[in-house]
Amino acid sequence: MLRKIWEHRADYAYVLPAIAVMLIVIAYPIYYTIELSFFNTPPGLQLRDKIFVGLDNYIAILTSPVFWKVTSNTLIWTLASTFVSFVLGFACALALHRDFIGRGILRAILIVPWVISAVAASYIWKWIYHSDFGIIGAVLVGLGLADRPPNFIDSVSTVLPSLIVVNIWREFPFAMIMMMAGLQTVPDQLLRAAKVDGANAWQRFWHVTFPHLRNVSTVTILLLAVANFNSFIIPWIMTGGGPSNASHIWITHIYELAFGRQRWGVASAYSVLLFLILMSLGYFYVRALSGNERKDGNE
Amino acid sequence: MSAIAETARRSQARRRTRIDGWRWGGRIFLVFMLLYTALPMIWMLITSIKSGFAAMQFPPQWWPDQPTLASYQKLLDPQNSVGQDFLRFFWNSLFVSTATTILSVIVAVPAAYAFSRFTFPGRNFLFFAVLLRNMFPAVIFLVPLFILMRAIGLVNTHGSLVLTYLTFGLPLAIWLLKGFYDNIPVQLEQAARIDGATRFQAFILIVMPLSAPGIIATAIYSFIGAWNEYIYAYTFLSKNEQLTLPVGIQRFFSENTTDFPGLMAASFMMSVPVVVLFLVLQRYFVRALTEGAVKH
Repeated sequence: MLRKIWEHRADYAYVLPAIAVMLIVIAYPIYYTIELSFFNTPPGLQLRDKIFVGLDNYIAILTSPVFWKVTSNTLIWTLASTFVSFVLGFACALALHRDFIGRGILRAILIVPWVISAVAASYIWKWIYHSDFGIIGAVLVGLGLADRPPNFIDSVSTVLPSLIVVNIWREFPFAMIMMMAGLQTVPDQLLRAAKVDGANAWQRFWHVTFPHLRNVSTVTILLLAVANFNSFIIPWIMTGGGPSNASHIWITHIYELAFGRQRWGVASAYSVLLFLILMSLGYFYVRALSGNERKDGNE
Repeated sequence: MSAIAETARRSQARRRTRIDGWRWGGRIFLVFMLLYTALPMIWMLITSIKSGFAAMQFPPQWWPDQPTLASYQKLLDPQNSVGQDFLRFFWNSLFVSTATTILSVIVAVPAAYAFSRFTFPGRNFLFFAVLLRNMFPAVIFLVPLFILMRAIGLVNTHGSLVLTYLTFGLPLAIWLLKGFYDNIPVQLEQAARIDGATRFQAFILIVMPLSAPGIIATAIYSFIGAWNEYIYAYTFLSKNEQLTLPVGIQRFFSENTTDFPGLMAASFMMSVPVVVLFLVLQRYFVRALTEGAVKH
């Protein structure tokens, strides 16, 4: 083993810069977070004066009612955003697959929300949802559907769906690009053969196109799910988690605990739990990717 | 005979209507998506050319009575304190994003090449370790990185951001480029080496040019990621003259909460560079995804 490593020593030089950066910026923070999650850091104290409290931070989290509220918000946010973004993006990719006049321009416009900064997107939508001067409220009143402009992001019941709409606006183009790239790999001969055999549009999609895209779909959905699970900017800028935690998701909650209330220990314990969840998602991610690898080897 | 012809014709007609149904459904869907995508951006542009007073009206002016570029002039005027700040944020973002882009190409290209060509012990493990970086949110790394940056004296410098941004660009960059290198036949390099090129020369002269689309895609991805990043910049930088655009705009408008035309103009100008960059180079990006990531 050691001799093998030594024989390949030149090869490591190529990966060394990447690995070094990763070690500094990833391995060390993970270690530090795990350590800090067993300590209490009373506000006003220096971080090095932390007090060992064992599992207290974890117990405090799991018994707090906010935890369950934030967890259910995170689940709704992640599942709804991922599912709708994927479906819309996939449908756009299918609709854009056939050539027509203006296809390039249309595709370019549809991608723009993904490219612009989430901070800009948050401000644009905050203005659209504005409770006094927002355009959606004005249209609803103008059409006679509402007496006065509704409060989209200041009301406990509508804030989460409203933010999910913004998130989907920003995310579906990613699914669209991935699936467009995937669609180009579906062999035309197969589709034509299916057509000759009398398969209709739906059957061709379901039996030929879709099976070909299984791997791309898995990777896309996982990447979307992870990105949504980790989103921060849209809720943070638009509502800061409010009103009364109705739009707090895990990440914004952790951020507030750490940087707002200086409860580093509890925030770290939250991060460790998050880490465990993501590792299990990561298992599927790696499996989907190595599915690709294995097929490569056979070719 | 005629009955058969009749059935054939009918079934053909039915097939045509059904295909048309799908096609029309697709068109209506695309129009809907176009409205969903474009209307918010159009409303941003319309608001940005209103006066502060005109923006605060109910019902809103669908098109401003007196369109004005005052918000843009204010943001771009180096004499004005708002303009000074905005231009400085803009320059900071440009510097950080460009530095990140150049470094990530320099780091990702050899790594991806090694993962594609060499079989050294631990190759798969390292490859997936690199990819796993994508899984973790910024928040996990925020506190320890802040302490680390303070220890190596990078807090309140753009270096802290460049170092951090490198790591989120890298996983996708390495993955995309590896796909590219997998598709470039090894025989090309072998031929070059038989002709007397060293491994490094073969890499620079043969492999690099062939993987140019992948490198361009990687560069776009890193640039856009760095340009739009918010949470690290928000935490690592506290001096006003060092802020990047997303944080700068947020700080600025949390003080002037009612200046929506100014906010919309700033959002627009913050988006222009990345949108232009992406639209000009998007075909490389889509091609890189097709050839690098998806084609397996």
